[in-house]
Amino acid sequence: MNLKSIPKAVVLVFLAAVACSNLFSQQTFSTTIYFDWSANLTNDGYVTGTDAARANNNKFQFRRAYFRYENKISDVLKFRLTFDADNTANITGVDFTKLSTKKDDKLRPYIKHLYLDYSGLLPNSNLKIGMIDTLTFKLAEDVWGYRSVAKTLVDGYKDVTGVDIRASSADLGGHLLGAISKAIRYGVMISSGEGYTHPEYNSFKELSGQLRIIPIAGLSFVGLYEYEKLDDANNAIMYKLDGYFEMVKGLVIGSEYFSYNNDKFMNADLSHYDSRGFSIFGSYKIVVDKFNVFARYDHYMPNSTKSSSNINVIIGGFDWTPVHKSWKIQPNIWYYAYADSTRKNDAYFNLTFFLSF
Amino acid sequence: MKNFNLGTLVAIAGISLALVFAPSLLAQKKMIQVKGSDTMINLVQILAEEFMSKNPQAAIAVLGGGSGTGISGLINGTCDIADTSREWKQSEINQAWEKGITPRLFAIAVDGLSIIVNEKNPLTKLTMDQVGSIYRGEIKNWKAVGGPDMAISLYGRQSNSGTYVFLQEHVLRNKNYSTDMKEMNGNAQIIEGVKADEAAIGYVGVGYVVDKATGRPMAGLKILNISKDAKSEAFSPMDKKAVDTGDYPIARPLYQATNGKPGANIAGFIQWEVGPEGQTIVEREGFYKIGDAYKQMNDKNLK
Repeated sequence: MNLKSIPKAVVLVFLAAVACSNLFSQQTFSTTIYFDWSANLTNDGYVTGTDAARANNNKFQFRRAYFRYENKISDVLKFRLTFDADNTANITGVDFTKLSTKKDDKLRPYIKHLYLDYSGLLPNSNLKIGMIDTLTFKLAEDVWGYRSVAKTLVDGYKDVTGVDIRASSADLGGHLLGAISKAIRYGVMISSGEGYTHPEYNSFKELSGQLRIIPIAGLSFVGLYEYEKLDDANNAIMYKLDGYFEMVKGLVIGSEYFSYNNDKFMNADLSHYDSRGFSIFGSYKIVVDKFNVFARYDHYMPNSTKSSSNINVIIGGFDWTPVHKSWKIQPNIWYYAYADSTRKNDAYFNLTFFLSF
Repeated sequence: MKNFNLGTLVAIAGISLALVFAPSLLAQKKMIQVKGSDTMINLVQILAEEFMSKNPQAAIAVLGGGSGTGISGLINGTCDIADTSREWKQSEINQAWEKGITPRLFAIAVDGLSIIVNEKNPLTKLTMDQVGSIYRGEIKNWKAVGGPDMAISLYGRQSNSGTYVFLQEHVLRNKNYSTDMKEMNGNAQIIEGVKADEAAIGYVGVGYVVDKATGRPMAGLKILNISKDAKSEAFSPMDKKAVDTGDYPIARPLYQATNGKPGANIAGFIQWEVGPEGQTIVEREGFYKIGDAYKQMNDKNLK
């Protein structure tokens, strides 16, 4: 979201909070950056077989830079501001395939987080207000642990399928996350529904609820329900079920399934369709802080009435920390298989560089 | 796929590189990683060195960072033993449960948490309530507690410190520290700050402020006697009997935590620490031996 699009009152509240905080309170700055060197492993696939892909092969690709400021105002009150730098052409609609060199191709910072975090409302809870993480895939992203390599299933859905399921990683609103016991966690959220890329343009809100059950240490089941009123006549609902297995030292296995129902999703014959998908992912720490391996299988069903639109994606790689944990090298391979028999499979190699300090 | 291109070659080279390095990386797995409390770091380093000198096959690395850092390390799998100078918080127990970690605690020593002032400060004692009020910022001048007419200068630790949390829970009654408190990185910085500032008050583990050669407080510092309340007698954290009986009101156990029942190597080290040889070192370093109740807890958690 551009600074100009945030209501002035919200900005003033947060600036006042920062200004009033004591100089001796704990303030931290941190930065995370990742970028790739990418090359196509196939040259005749659905994507890699195009002239544009061939011309654009063997390239450096900047992915993300986060600059984060955190201020611990007191033991129960914290403030966070995160600038996220992405290629804003993704947002402004510049067509990459035209290899444009217009100014909109530049990497620009925008606000990802701008919130107060209050932990004194209920025992073992956090109330966050402002531009905050959504509940949609934060847990899955944390368990997957390789956002630098790939977005999680729902986060990256539009990138893979082209179908916008209106899922954003951050939004303007408030959420309460907490634990009733060590085995039961909850989360509720109300937000604008527009994510961090647009200001709210209507009075409709998005509501989310999440329940996490951990019956035994290291085994979690998470249910998520999201409801958004799109306009006077249309709604969108997402159901999501995750499972995480972390019972063996160093081994993480996770899975996600979701179904997204948008009243506006109609075929040409006016029949309705849903978008669905599931993902199974895992990582294993071979040497802690030094060498991990990871793999993932995603199955995308962008149109529930048309199985030929399905896409399978397999990702595999390793995570090597050669010198210090502040920089990592994460070589990874992506393999795309299309249900549509007219589309040939694609494969890519990314040499991902991860820097955090 | 029609042909091998540059990407394929780089991918193969990368995987080959990983296979070459993997055996040497795997060889590093045997070292026991200990991380956490800065109050405990010197003690545990000495214990580890002594243990390794008697057991040449053992390899132990000890790092500080604060109790919170140690707990995070155990939860994230980056250490085998977390040193903590406080109990685990419920949020940490919850987080551990998510990650499949079931912490077991072992008390390896007892610390008389020491309230220190500059040696030029004429004050000799405070009550628990007075210490709490001072650190909450409610008492701002030494005159209010019988000292000189001088604004109090607060020195403390950052919130990842177990000592910060212990004092907050047991002395500040879970209320916030004054925002005027200087949050120092470690015990040594607090000691240096108090030595240099006549108006200072600070808190550190007793093992840090006792001169081991003389058995007296370090030059430049005064350790205050602390009483439970205004009617009670005040005791010094250097008074072993007062710490053992609980008359010294801010004594605390120093813990090590493992994920579940420790394996043979880790259990061997902990058993040695809480045994006669380890406990002799604990006393030599200015801390106190564990009592019977903690011994029973340790025995139970080792099984």
